[in-house]
Order: sequence, then C-alpha cells, then structure tokens
Amino acid sequence: MNPVIKINGLSFGYEFGDSVLKDIYLEISPGEMVALVGQNGAGKTTLVKHLIGLLRPPAGKVSVADLDVANTRISKLSRQVGYVFQNPDHQIFHDTVQAEVAFGLNNLGLPREEVEPRVTAALSDVGLEHLAHENPQRLSRGQRQRVALASVLALRTPVIVLDEPTTGQDYQERKQIMALVEQLNKAGHTIVFITHDMSLVAHYASRVVVLCQGRIILDGDTREVFRQTDKLAESLLLPPQVTVLANQLNEPLNTSVSPVILSVDEMQDYLQRVREVKRNGTGD
Amino acid sequence: MTSNNFLIQLNNFTYQYPHTANNALKSINLSLKKGSFVGFAGPTGAGKTTLIKSINGIVPHFEGGTFSGEVLLNGKAADTMSTAEIGRSVGTVLDDPEAQIICLDVEQELVFGMENYGVPPAEMEQRMQKALASVGIAHLLGRSTASLSGGQKQRLAIAAALAMLPEVLVLDEPTSELDPLGSEEVFRVLKQLHQEQGMTILVTEQKTDLLARYCDQLVILREGEMVLSGTPREVFQHQDIFELGVALPEVTELARRYYPQAEPPITLDEGVQFCRNVILSFGG
Amino acid sequence: MARVIEYIYRDSIIHQLNPVSKLAWALGVMVLALTFNDPYYLLALLLSVGLVGLTGRVLKDLSGVMKGLSIFALILVLLQVIFYHGAYQEAIALGIAMGLRMMTVVLSFLVFLSTTQYKDIILVLTEKMKLPYDYVFMFMTSLRFVPTFLNEAIQVGYAQQVRGCPIDSGNPWRKMKAYIAVALPLVLISLKKAERLAIAMETRGYGSNNRTYYKEPVISTLDYFVIFLVVILIIGAIILRCKGLGVLH
Repeated sequence: MNPVIKINGLSFGYEFGDSVLKDIYLEISPGEMVALVGQNGAGKTTLVKHLIGLLRPPAGKVSVADLDVANTRISKLSRQVGYVFQNPDHQIFHDTVQAEVAFGLNNLGLPREEVEPRVTAALSDVGLEHLAHENPQRLSRGQRQRVALASVLALRTPVIVLDEPTTGQDYQERKQIMALVEQLNKAGHTIVFITHDMSLVAHYASRVVVLCQGRIILDGDTREVFRQTDKLAESLLLPPQVTVLANQLNEPLNTSVSPVILSVDEMQDYLQRVREVKRNGTGD
Repeated sequence: MTSNNFLIQLNNFTYQYPHTANNALKSINLSLKKGSFVGFAGPTGAGKTTLIKSINGIVPHFEGGTFSGEVLLNGKAADTMSTAEIGRSVGTVLDDPEAQIICLDVEQELVFGMENYGVPPAEMEQRMQKALASVGIAHLLGRSTASLSGGQKQRLAIAAALAMLPEVLVLDEPTSELDPLGSEEVFRVLKQLHQEQGMTILVTEQKTDLLARYCDQLVILREGEMVLSGTPREVFQHQDIFELGVALPEVTELARRYYPQAEPPITLDEGVQFCRNVILSFGG
Repeated sequence: MARVIEYIYRDSIIHQLNPVSKLAWALGVMVLALTFNDPYYLLALLLSVGLVGLTGRVLKDLSGVMKGLSIFALILVLLQVIFYHGAYQEAIALGIAMGLRMMTVVLSFLVFLSTTQYKDIILVLTEKMKLPYDYVFMFMTSLRFVPTFLNEAIQVGYAQQVRGCPIDSGNPWRKMKAYIAVALPLVLISLKKAERLAIAMETRGYGSNNRTYYKEPVISTLDYFVIFLVVILIIGAIILRCKGLGVLH
C-alpha cells in the first residue's frame, strides 16, 4: 500500500545546540500502529512535530498523505493528522468539555448540524459523554487527557499522533486510553504513539521504531525489535519484565529460535509448552 | 514529647478540601517508626497526594478545608505548627521537576531552605556538600538548574530537602515526569538514603514494580481509605488486589495465576526462580 | 530571545563587580542617555556600554537582541521622518537619537542582568536598599520564569494550531481571536505552576524569620572607583548640558 507517512533523509537541529535528528528514513503505511520509543532527548517529539508542520525540515523531505510538509499550512495538515499533546493543559481553555471538543471543528468551519453529532460521538468514544457540560478544570488529569483526545478525535483525521498519552495516569486510565487507541486503529486510523512504557508497547504496537541520539537504530515488528536485546540496551531501554524473564530463563524448546514473550498470557503458554517438552523428554 | 516510638502518627484523620462534596481522606490510621520506607499506591483520586500533604502541613495550612482526627509528628500535633516549622523535620519533593526548582543555579537551590531557616553560612557549605554527595550529584554544583535532566532535577530536589536535615522525606510521585532510567535513578538514591542514613521515606508512586523492589511497606489507598497495608509481598498476595486498580509486577501476576494463595515473587530474580520451579514441578 | 534576561556564566571583571556598582552604572548610563540628544554623544555612550559588555564577555550573547532592537530603532527613525513637523534632516537626527538612546539604556541593563546573579540582585535590593524581601523575591522569581513562560507559550501555540486554530492567518481579526486560545491556557497553566511553586517554597521554610545569606558579595576598591566614576560622569554631563553642549539646536 502507498505509505501515508514518508520521511526521506530528514535531519534537524535547533538554532543553538547539536543536531537532534540525523538522517531519518521512515515510511508508515495506512492502518499501522507504530510505537516510537527512546530515552528522553532521543528526538521522538522533534520527529513527530515534523508530521504536522510544527517544525519544518531543513534537510530531507517529509510528506503526509501526499502533502509536502515543508510547504503546506498547518491548518491544512491538521485535516490529515491529529496530534494529541502530552500535557492536556496546553490546549484546554473552554468552560465546558463540549465547547473544548467543538473548538477544532469550528476552526474547520463546519456547519453546526455537523459539529454537534461529531462532538457527541467523540465524547462517547472516550467515555465522557456524561461530563459534556462540566468545566474541564474540575476534572482529573486523566479525564482532561481524554478531553484533549476527544477534541482531536472529533477532527476525524486519517492519522493520529499521540505524544506520551499515558503520562501521569493511573493503571486503569492507561488501559482505558490505550484500549481506545487500539479501537481507533482497528477502525482504520494510522496511529503513531510515543511512550516510555514498554509493556504498553508490547501489548498494543504492531511495529516499534527505536530512536537513539537522533538516529533510528531499530525499526520493525514489535516481537523482532524486542528480540534485539543488545541494541535495546545500547539505547538504555528495558523490554517488559516478562520478556526479560523468558530471556533469562532461556529454556530451549524444540525450535531453533527462542521465542520473544510479550505478555503474561504468552508467558503462561510458553511455560506450558516447556513443561510438555520436558514431560515428553525431548527438552534436554 | 516522644511518649511512643512513632515518628509519624495519623489518628482517625479525615480531611475535606474546601468547595468539595466528599472527604479526600477518611479515618486514616497510620503509625510509622523512624527508618520506615513506605510506598503509597492507588488510582487517581485515592488520596495519595492529600496524605503526603497532610504530613508536610500543606493540608490544612495551605489548602484550607476541614479535618477531624490528628496528625502527630514526633508526638506533636501538626496543625499547631506552621508549615515552615514542619519543614524543618519534613522534607518534601513534588512530582513536577520544573515547578519545584525555585532558583537558577544548583548552589542557590540548595541554600534556599537553609537561608530561610537562618543556618550559619559556614555550616551551609558542609551540609551542601554532604547533601549533594548523598544523591550522587556533587559534580553538578555550579551548573544552572535549567541545564539538568529530569532525573538530575529530581535528585537536586531531594538534595535540597536533605540539606535542611529533615527526619523524614515525603515524595509525591517523584518519577511521574521521568523516563524509566530517571525513575530508577531516583529510587536508587532513596534506597541508599534509607540504608546508609536510616532516613524515613514516604513515597507515592504509580509504578508499582518500583515500590515492590524498593519499599519495606506498601499501602494501597482507594477513595480516601487505606484498604491494604503490609510488606509488598503481603499486599500483592492479598485476594482483593486485582480490584484495587493498581498494576502488579508482571512476575507477580504470572505467579498468582498458578498459585493464588501462595507468597508470590515480586522481583525479576524471584520470577526466574519461580518459573524454574514451575517447570520442574511438572518435568522430570 | 528566551535567554535575554538570564545570567550568563562567565568569568570576567564585570561579573566580579558588586551588584551595587553595576546597578549604579546602569542607572548612570540611563541618566546620561536622557541628558543628551545629540546622536554623536549618544553613539559614544552606546559604544562605551558595548565596551563594558565586551569586557564582561556577554556582548556576543546579546547580539541577537541588539539586532532586533536596531530594527525597532530604524522604525523609530522612520516614524520621526513621517510624523515630524519640521526639517527633514532634523527629523532624521532626532529619530536616530531616540533609537540610540533606547538601545543604550536597554543594552546597559542587559549587561547588568547577564553579569549579575539573581540572588545577588535580591540581596542588594533587600539588604542594602532595604526593600521588602517578599516583593523583591517575587519580582525576581517572576523574571526567572520568563523563559519557562515563553516556552509554554510556544507549546500552547502548537497545541492550538494543530486543532486548526488560525494563528498563522493573514486576517488580523481572526488572528487576534486565535491568540485568545493561546492566552487563556497560558494563564491557567501559570496559575497552576505558581501554586506548585508556592507549595515548594512553603515546605522549604520560606517566610520564617532570621534568614541568613550564604555568600554576600564583597565591595572592592574597584567598586568604589566605579561608583565614583559614575558620579563624576553624571556631574560632568549636567555641566555640559547647562552649557548647551550635546543638545541639538
């Protein structure tokens, strides 16, 4: 399929300081769910800001949905790419949740008959329809994050970028947000999300891109990326606990490659299989 | 005043923020000896932050609101002391590294509290060196605070609290804005302070696997109530733990699927041992 | 622009001067700049301020701001030419004088701020000039948060633009409305930050009595010399001015 995001030889540096991105090549196809990981300062946020024209590439080419980011207005790009910021307080300023979500739609100049159903749908997607008339300032951080998410969802863009959508949230809220993102992906949206939480990556991403000091050092299927423990260690990332557990256990099965375990469920299956192999006496 | 051995005591402490309908804390009873290392977990809105604030005097002195019951510090009622007075024995670290760094350079940040309390300048030098060494950032003296990483900023915040020679450190989600590496950095420093200086530490945290590995005691809060308390292992072993909205370490979750009643492993090493046993129990 | 009013860590003789003498110098420069309106006099004054900046090894860091200011100065000249009722040459001279004056005063304060640590400014204002500590501290701390604030403003601007907010619109009315969408979250965020900061300060004993200071800046003979020089220069300037020198017409 024709990629929806094409980054070709992108390099970028801020006015004072070292270059932040070096020679980035990345293509993302419609419908992918990509996790962008790396330590703080690896260049993750700088990279995604290029997807919506908040930063313009000085070297290399970035295009989204066949629009060249270098010479397309943000207001036009924002019809293709929705961008959820890390801190919801950077955007929330209306006195009702409903008005906050309608803001982007009004900017698009949509007629009122279309705005209302879209707002309602977005709020119901994030599970906040009962708080539509509440003042966002009275909600919890997790709820405000969902308001911010709804305000981007309402724009119905084919691509959605989320910068650390689960920071500062508790366990349940993290699961809720990610379940929602997964649902959006299944509905056809292309998703790019930044996170530090490797178990979220293991659970939800189909592809992982690892940035280290401005370069892409790993890019591939989630399981394949987590197999590269040496490279991950180089960028100071630690796979989920069960993944490391299975690695350290290092129990040979009757396959030549040891499996990469991504979840507790998989670990349970794996142990089951190891036991069967042992019982049948083919393990040693 | 130390009629008993408890450094911190909450007796039937109930608190309500101004302009709210519900109690943020409900009949909390908690007695902690000098040298405790206690982690507090629970979903958003469970009262973790409020509990920390009621120990450092921000509740009720700064926030207002109404309370019943008492908070005792070394046997003395906290509501009869000013925040500044409490600050002499309770050092505080907040979640946002940006908002709690008050000064422009590391040296000034460290002496800020000491100057306020009228510490003689000759003594400041000594305390400053010791505090910096305790958190492992002696090399950062002379740097501007803006140039530090998130993890370094949080360690500076801990050092600034230590320079006032507190009896207890309270930390409110000190790693929520940090990456995994920075989070580990902070907890390693806490562990060291606890072991080497016998520092009493109270910390709220979403990352339960950090609490599992570092704390002696774990308290789970829900809707303003203390619902579970004990060693991390005891708490994770409890049958209700899955309903309380806290994440279990993955090894613990795995083990509980096999033996819901037994003592679960809580660290990676224990997890490896556990899996070996599981395999052996069926193998051979 | 974000680092305009920050202390710049360098080792120089200007950095070592007592804040009192540096403040006296900056105020002296302001008096001199207001005394004269002859462009040559003002140019000489600006060059002298530049020389001090050079000695303080901060001139290069401030060059970006000075570039911006010179554009502003050019606009001042232009406005004079357009609106001045009189001879064309007179208008240009007056415009240049105004521009130079502004640049001189701003640069001298920038040199002062970039070579003097905040804590020393606070200390001098409270201990030497007996201003109330609370107000001085609050004022200086709000200055300290200007770069943070500007950074937040950029982030908020981004967050609104990606929702199609027409900040980049050519229509001034739409643009103004768009800025409300930036201003409001910024105010809300700043209030939250201020509350956090207040809590951080409270828990570290802010407002207890009997405060001490870790390091008090020393007054050296060089400082006495600088202050003496500033006084002489001001007296000299007043004498020149009374004789009608350094003033146009």
